[in-house]
Amino acid sequence: MAPKKDAKAPAKKAEPAPAPAPAPAPEPAPAPAAPAVDLSAIKVEFSADQIEDYREAFGLFDRVGDNKVAYNQIADIMRALGQNPTNKEVTKLLGNPSADDMASKRVEFEGFLPMLQAIINSPNKAGFEDYVEGLRVFDKEGNGTVMGAELRIVLSTLGEKMTEAEIDALMTGQEDENGCVNYEAFVKHIMSV
Amino acid sequence: MDCHNEECSRPQEEEDIMDIPLDDPEANRAAAKIQAGFRGHMTRKKLKPEDKTEGEEVSITGDVFNRSVV
Repeated sequence: MAPKKDAKAPAKKAEPAPAPAPAPAPEPAPAPAAPAVDLSAIKVEFSADQIEDYREAFGLFDRVGDNKVAYNQIADIMRALGQNPTNKEVTKLLGNPSADDMASKRVEFEGFLPMLQAIINSPNKAGFEDYVEGLRVFDKEGNGTVMGAELRIVLSTLGEKMTEAEIDALMTGQEDENGCVNYEAFVKHIMSV
Repeated sequence: MDCHNEECSRPQEEEDIMDIPLDDPEANRAAAKIQAGFRGHMTRKKLKPEDKTEGEEVSITGDVFNRSVV
């Protein structure tokens, strides 16, 4: 609302603009979560061969036959292609969709590529040392092992909680007879696939 | 915890459990990174044995391989 001041006299003192230019696209509810990513600004730099590989993987996930995949499949396609995105990163790339949107909205291959590029470009990618360091925190005795039971609890209560089924699948065969996990070996195993 | 006795027979484990930093953002961030790596690994592992004929296998894409039901 611009109060009518002296319109004739040029403002001697700097009058702050009463109202900023109307925003062309009204923002939806202010998202406390990560701001949406501008996918159109991402330069896709894959080779033709890579794109074909990605297209093939993408196609495997299309169960409807419309050359699209559901939002809630995107993370898994990226994992299938060798990436390790957090669920939060993917949600952000998808524009923080609701749970309903995750299940019902679909994206075509061309829309998927910049998302994949963003994950590949991500500077936060964890390597062997990062995983080992992360697990070393729970190495109470400093002997290179963590208690399997403790690791299970951490995985199910911290971060992006894992389900019991996921944890069982992960930990199968990793604990020794004392229920301990040699975490360097564990991480090597994880990174081998 | 199914501890019927006053003295739990696993005091060490309980102490460890209490140590888990549920509210620490650093710990949660580290955990999320580890979990992301684990999930990536498990997804790739699940997708691998597509050509093994071990009865009916359902891949994470929802496709059913080697469907033995006629």
